[in-house]
Amino acid sequence: MLNKRTITIIKRELKVRLFSRTFIIMTLLIPLFMFGILGLQTYLLNYSGSENALLIIASESQRVLDNVQAELKLIPKNHEGELKFMFEKLEKSKLEERLSNIRLQILEEKITGLVFIPDQALKNKKIEYFSKNPNNNLLLNKLKPSINKVLTDMYFVGRRLSTEELEFAKNNVDFNGYRISADKKIEEEGIGNTVLSFLFTFLLYMSLLFIGQMTMTSVIEEKSNKIVEVLLSSVSSKELMAGKIIGTSITGLAQMAIWISPLIILLSTTWFVLPPEFTLKLSVWHLVFFLYNYFIALITFLGLFATVGSIFDNPQDAQSGIWPIMMLIIIPFFISIGMQTNPENQIARIASFVPFASLIVMPARITLVDIPLIQLIISMLINIAAMILIFILAGKIYRVGILITGKKPKWSEVVKWFKYNY
Amino acid sequence: MYALEVNNLSKSFNSLKAVDNVSFTVPEGSVFGLIGRNGAGKTTTIRMMMNIYMPDAGEVILRGTKIGQEFKDKVGYLPEERGLYKKMKVMDTLLFLAELKSKKGRGIEKKALDYLKRFELLDRKNSKLEDLSKGNQQKIQFIASVLHDPEFLIFDEPFSGLDPINTDLLKDIILEKKEEGKVIIFSTHLMDFAEKLSDHIAMIDHGKIILKGSLNEIKSQYAQRNITIEVEGDSSFLEKVDFVEKVENFGNSIGVRVKESSQSQDLLKLLVQNNIKVNKFAANEISLHEIFVTLAGKDANNVK
Repeated sequence: MLNKRTITIIKRELKVRLFSRTFIIMTLLIPLFMFGILGLQTYLLNYSGSENALLIIASESQRVLDNVQAELKLIPKNHEGELKFMFEKLEKSKLEERLSNIRLQILEEKITGLVFIPDQALKNKKIEYFSKNPNNNLLLNKLKPSINKVLTDMYFVGRRLSTEELEFAKNNVDFNGYRISADKKIEEEGIGNTVLSFLFTFLLYMSLLFIGQMTMTSVIEEKSNKIVEVLLSSVSSKELMAGKIIGTSITGLAQMAIWISPLIILLSTTWFVLPPEFTLKLSVWHLVFFLYNYFIALITFLGLFATVGSIFDNPQDAQSGIWPIMMLIIIPFFISIGMQTNPENQIARIASFVPFASLIVMPARITLVDIPLIQLIISMLINIAAMILIFILAGKIYRVGILITGKKPKWSEVVKWFKYNY
Repeated sequence: MYALEVNNLSKSFNSLKAVDNVSFTVPEGSVFGLIGRNGAGKTTTIRMMMNIYMPDAGEVILRGTKIGQEFKDKVGYLPEERGLYKKMKVMDTLLFLAELKSKKGRGIEKKALDYLKRFELLDRKNSKLEDLSKGNQQKIQFIASVLHDPEFLIFDEPFSGLDPINTDLLKDIILEKKEEGKVIIFSTHLMDFAEKLSDHIAMIDHGKIILKGSLNEIKSQYAQRNITIEVEGDSSFLEKVDFVEKVENFGNSIGVRVKESSQSQDLLKLLVQNNIKVNKFAANEISLHEIFVTLAGKDANNVK
C-alpha cells in the first residue's frame, strides 16, 4: 500500500499541514488553550462573586467575640471583595428578636448574614448561620478555620496542654507516597508524575480531537470540491486514504514531539533541576512509548474521522456522525482523569486493554504505576489489531462515501456500503 | 486491434440499473464519443472504465489485458464535476497531479510552464486556485489532464459550462492529441460537438447502448432513409405506400422517410411511374441529433 502514489499523497499532506502557518499556530495554540481551560476551570471553581459581604458575628460570650475578632483579622485580604464584620454580644434568648430586627436588611442584602456562636459551641462546635443564602460555602469556608481555631483553643486552654500538643491535635495526617517498583528501589513519590499523567491525558485528548476534526474537514472538502474524482483517476481510494491518514499522523506526531520536547530535555540532561516534590519517576522510554502510542492512536482515530468525513458532504451533517467517535475519546479521557486518584482501579485496569480506550488510558497509567511488560505488549497488540481492523472497515466505507454526494445518507445505507462492490 | 474494449459492463445502485450490459470498442487513434442525455449512464460507464467504480459484471480490456493501475497511469481524466484543491498553488497542483501519474522532474515542470503560457496563465503560476476565475480553473484542470502526456484522454462532459473561447481551446487540444495518435474518449449530451469531433460513437440511453460504430457508417446508414424531394404533381399517394414510414410536407419540398435505406431507389421509381416530375431527389445528410431522436424516442427532444 505504501507505494509511490501513496507517498506522493503523504508528501502533499505534509506540505499542506506540517510546513504551514496553521501548524505553527496550532502547535502554540493548543497548549495555551489547554492551560487556559485548566485555569478557567480553577478560576470558576473558586469564584465567589465580587460582591462585598457584611457579617454580624454574635456570641453570648465577650471572650469568644474578642478571640474570633483577633483571628479574623488574620484572614488575608484578596481582590474578590471585601469581607466586613460587626461583632456583638447577644444572648440566645434575644436572638430571635435581633433577627427580626435585621430581617429586612438581610433580605435587601445590606447585611449578608448573622453568625451566632452560642456558649454551647465551646463544647460541640455547633454554630448557627442566618442568611438569605445560607449555602454560601465559599464564604463559610473562609470563616471556618478561624472560628474552629478559637473554639479548639478555648476548649483546651483549661486542660494544661502545651502548645505543641495542641498543634499536634489540630494537624491532619500527612501521607507521603513511596513507589515500590520492579527495579527494587523505593523512592519517595512526588506529584510530578501525577501532573505528567494529567498532561499526557489532556494532550492526547485535545490533539486527537483537533487533528481528527481537521482530517474530517479536509476529507469533506475534497469530496465537496470534487477533487476526489481527479485523484481517483490516478490512485485507488485505499492509497488515497492511507496517504492522507499517514501524512496527517506524521504531522500530529511531529507536533506532539515538539510539545513534549521540554520533557525529553529534562529527562535526558541535567540542565534543569526540579524541586523534589515535582521529581519525575520517568525514563525516556516512557516518552518513546507515549509517542509510539500516539501515532497508533492517530492512525486509528483518523481512520474513523476520515470515514465520517467521507460519508457526509458538508461539515454540518458530519457533526451528527461524529459523536460516536467523540465518545470513544471522551469516555477514556474521563476514565484517565478519574484514575489519577487510584491508577489501579478496576475500570482503569480494564480500560487499558480495551481498544480505543487503551490508547488514552495506558499512557497516563504507565506514568503513575509500573505496568508489567507483558501487559504492555498485550495492550499494544490489541491496539495494532484494532488499528488494522479500523483501516479495513474504514476503507470500505470511504471508497463508497467519497463518491456519493447529495442527500445525507442514512446509517442503514452506510452499513450496506460494506457489502458494495465498488 | 482495439485500444480499448468494453465488454458487458453492468452497474446497479440499489434498485437502479445505471449501466446495463454495455459493450463497445474504441479503435486505436480514434476520437470516441459516448453520447446520451443526462443520467443515461455515461459517467458511470466512464468511472468503471477508470476503475473508480468496480463493475457488477463485465470488464474493460486495454490492448488485450484487463485494466488496472497501468491504465490509470496512462490516462488523463477530466471528470464531469471539476475540482481542485482551492488553497493549493497552480504550479504545485499541476506538479502534484503529474507526480501521481509518476511523472516528475525538470521536464514536466518545463512542460507545465509551456502549457500555462499557451493558456495565458503563466503569470498566475504561483496564485492559489481559489484566486483564479472559474474559467481559468477549468483551464488548469485541462492542463492537469494532459500534462503527463497520457496515451488515453478521457473527458467526461468536457464542454459543459464552457465559454466559446475555452470550448475552442479544448477542441484544439482534442484535435492536437488526435494527431499525436492518442486515443480520446469523451462523453457528451451535445450531439453537435460529438458529430464534429468524433469518428466513432456509442449512444447510450437508460443504461443501454442503442447505437455504436463509426460515425460515417452510421450516418450513411441512416441518411439513406431520409430523402428530400421537390416534385411537380400530386404526391399525396406517398403516404399510402407501404415502404414509406413518414412524409412531411414543407411546402416547396417534401421530406420522406423510407423504412429501409435500399428503398430509396424504389421511391424514385414509384415517382416516375406515377408521372410525377422530379426536380430534386436528395438522400439527406442526417444529423446525429436526428438519429438520436429517432432511436431514443420523443422524450429525447430535450437533447440538443
